[in-house]
Amino acid sequence: MSLLEIRDLKKHFRVGGGLLSTAGTVKAVNGVSFAVGEGETFALVGESGCGKTTIAKMVLMLERPTSGAILFDGEDLASMGSAGVKAYRRQVQTVFQDPYASLNPRLRVRTIIAEPILAHGRPERATLRKRVEEVLDVVGLPKTAADLFPHEFSGGQRQRVAIARALALNPRCIVLDEPISALDVSIRAQILNLLADIQERFRLTYLIIAHDLALVEHFSTRVGVMYLGNMVEAGPTSEVFAHPRHPYTQALLASVPRPDPDHRPPADAIRGEIASAMAPPSGCKFHPRCPHAMPVCNTEFPGWRNLGATHAAACHLLELT
Amino acid sequence: MASNGQALLRVENLRTHLFLKRGVLKAVDGVSLHVDEGETLGLVGESGSGKSMTSLSIMRLLPKHSGRIVDGHVWLDGTDLTTLPEDEMARDWRGSRVSMVSQDPMTSLNPVFTVGDQVGAPFRYHKLAQGAQAVRDAVVKVLGRVRIPSPERRLDNYPHQFSGGMRQRVVAAMAIACAPRLLIADEPTSNLDVTIQVQMIELFRELQRDSGLGIILITHDLGVAASICDRVAVMYAGRIVEVGDVRTMYRAAAHPYTQALLNSIPHLGQRRRRLYAIGGQPPSLIDPPVGCRFAPRCPRRTAKCDAEYPPEVELAPGHVTACWHPGPGGSA
Ligand SMILES: Nc1ncnc2c1ncn2[C@@H]1O[C@H](COP(=O)(O)OP(=O)(O)OP(=O)(O)O)[C@@H](O)[C@H]1O
Ligand SMILES: Nc1ncnc2c1ncn2[C@@H]1O[C@H](COP(=O)(O)OP(=O)(O)OP(=O)(O)O)[C@@H](O)[C@H]1O
Ligand SMILES: [Mg+2]
Ligand SMILES: [Mg+2]
Repeated sequence: MSLLEIRDLKKHFRVGGGLLSTAGTVKAVNGVSFAVGEGETFALVGESGCGKTTIAKMVLMLERPTSGAILFDGEDLASMGSAGVKAYRRQVQTVFQDPYASLNPRLRVRTIIAEPILAHGRPERATLRKRVEEVLDVVGLPKTAADLFPHEFSGGQRQRVAIARALALNPRCIVLDEPISALDVSIRAQILNLLADIQERFRLTYLIIAHDLALVEHFSTRVGVMYLGNMVEAGPTSEVFAHPRHPYTQALLASVPRPDPDHRPPADAIRGEIASAMAPPSGCKFHPRCPHAMPVCNTEFPGWRNLGATHAAACHLLELT
Repeated sequence: MASNGQALLRVENLRTHLFLKRGVLKAVDGVSLHVDEGETLGLVGESGSGKSMTSLSIMRLLPKHSGRIVDGHVWLDGTDLTTLPEDEMARDWRGSRVSMVSQDPMTSLNPVFTVGDQVGAPFRYHKLAQGAQAVRDAVVKVLGRVRIPSPERRLDNYPHQFSGGMRQRVVAAMAIACAPRLLIADEPTSNLDVTIQVQMIELFRELQRDSGLGIILITHDLGVAASICDRVAVMYAGRIVEVGDVRTMYRAAAHPYTQALLNSIPHLGQRRRRLYAIGGQPPSLIDPPVGCRFAPRCPRRTAKCDAEYPPEVELAPGHVTACWHPGPGGSA
């Protein structure tokens, strides 16, 4: 059974209504479904603003879905009692995109890491101190870091503090929203190896959001590609990366900058302007920018098409074969 | 390091220290670099090595109470920014001739003002657009340039209503608003998906072609650095350990730290079970070792490395490294 299951999830925001602009609705997430098995790493990738963080926030119960359901261990979050919700919050931890905004600047690192532990129990002081130092060690920070404030660290060091905090409660699932984009490549490698190690040791489940596709390929077992509030392709990472079937996935992979000065990513892998989540195109939302668009793409929203046991994509082209 | 007569920016032996309760932290400890007109210099390296402090020194935006430039010069178009009075720096330089996309978009954006107000601020302050409608039009235009969809409708939103990558692009819009001579971009693409990264890189190139803009690009993404930079400088523990043109740096890096960095990255199409990671920790910048600062983590360490900081050697024109044992590295 899946540990985490997302069913037809939607989140719409009301925005605007300023002096000169009219109000409207941002359909940030517009009917997304996927499942993450225990011990698996599921990666969400896609254009900036396509709704990845919004999904993460709903999973973390920081935002309430407009509709749809999130199931953990088969149980619907919406129907959990307060004890259930408390247990859930303990088992699902997070590392957010922005290491600056996510750490309270007025608290020492010791307090920041202890906070989630204290929210769920009253350990003895010595135990608490030991646990804080343990997780600092796990993320490669010295014990002395516990007595410093977040502003005394560089961006990368701060993100390690955030990871230490997420580990403090021995969670079952960690939601990682751009967890390492602020880290230098060597610490990235350390952290990724570390996340892989603790995953193996504790059978952790990861939901990771990342823009670095080489990292996603290396690190995740399954991947979901999103475009403007919808999932357009999903499947085992190795298969999706080797044989991308949706034109958006293909463009995304073609655009990856390589650590090679003689490789220039094609500037025109994706044509046209980024679509707006406030006024999404009709039919397939990618059609105005798709090199293979057909008349039907303009009018009809493409349904999911299975391409193998667990690989699927939503594109009218696939109906032609 | 090697400097050029008509460089747009020339940083000479910059030392920036942070005076903290626990001691004096030598965040930037003797950095020299130059950026020519229309050129992009990449600044990469260890987290905490002083990349942001170097750029904050150039911008004169150091932490108010603790940060101070204690030595060195920052020449921009022939003017030493380190000696300017603050009001002149604010009026004629910062945000107009030299601007920065800061690493953390949320600290450059005030949560209580709308995006439109904030992007409009440089236009109003430097008097580039007069009147509410003109400012508004200018804002819509510049937001469009950084690819914010429906800018005229998102103008009145607050920063928290934007996604991470959208905020980053808003900060970029503010930085290019006044057509600067030098743009310092601190991790400008790290929260962006690759297709928008490519577009931002194209935007930077366009600005360079049009106006000879010089760019310092700070990034941890060696793929992005490879595709946009003309030269790359690698920082470690407050100093530049190697600099050279982009091809030399990716093909013939001579410093073991640069080589280790290049070995640490995952490559598309090659799934490895484990990534190579450099063991150990960087040294304390409060009490840095006298010798080479990378020595404790270096495979080529000898007694000499611990005893004395290595001198800079020019291995080829423009390719300079500070290492006692420079040379090609084995692969990891
Ligand atoms: N609180 C909010 N109010 C209004 N709109 C919002 C809010 N939060 C997010 N949005 C909008 O929802 C859309 C999706 O945002 P989200 O943060 O989920 O994107 P993302 O995929 O995480 O992007 P990125 O890769 O840039 O972080 C965006 O258009 C964003 O502006
Ligand atoms: N406000 C501050 N107070 C005290 N120490 C600081 C402050 N800001 C930075 N430092 C310290 O100064 C050193 C240089 O930091 P800087 O932010 O320049 O690193 P960086 O190279 O930009 O790192 P990253 O890649 O993680 O952003 C680090 O050791 C950091 O811990
Ligand atoms: Mg996000
Ligand atoms: Mg920095």
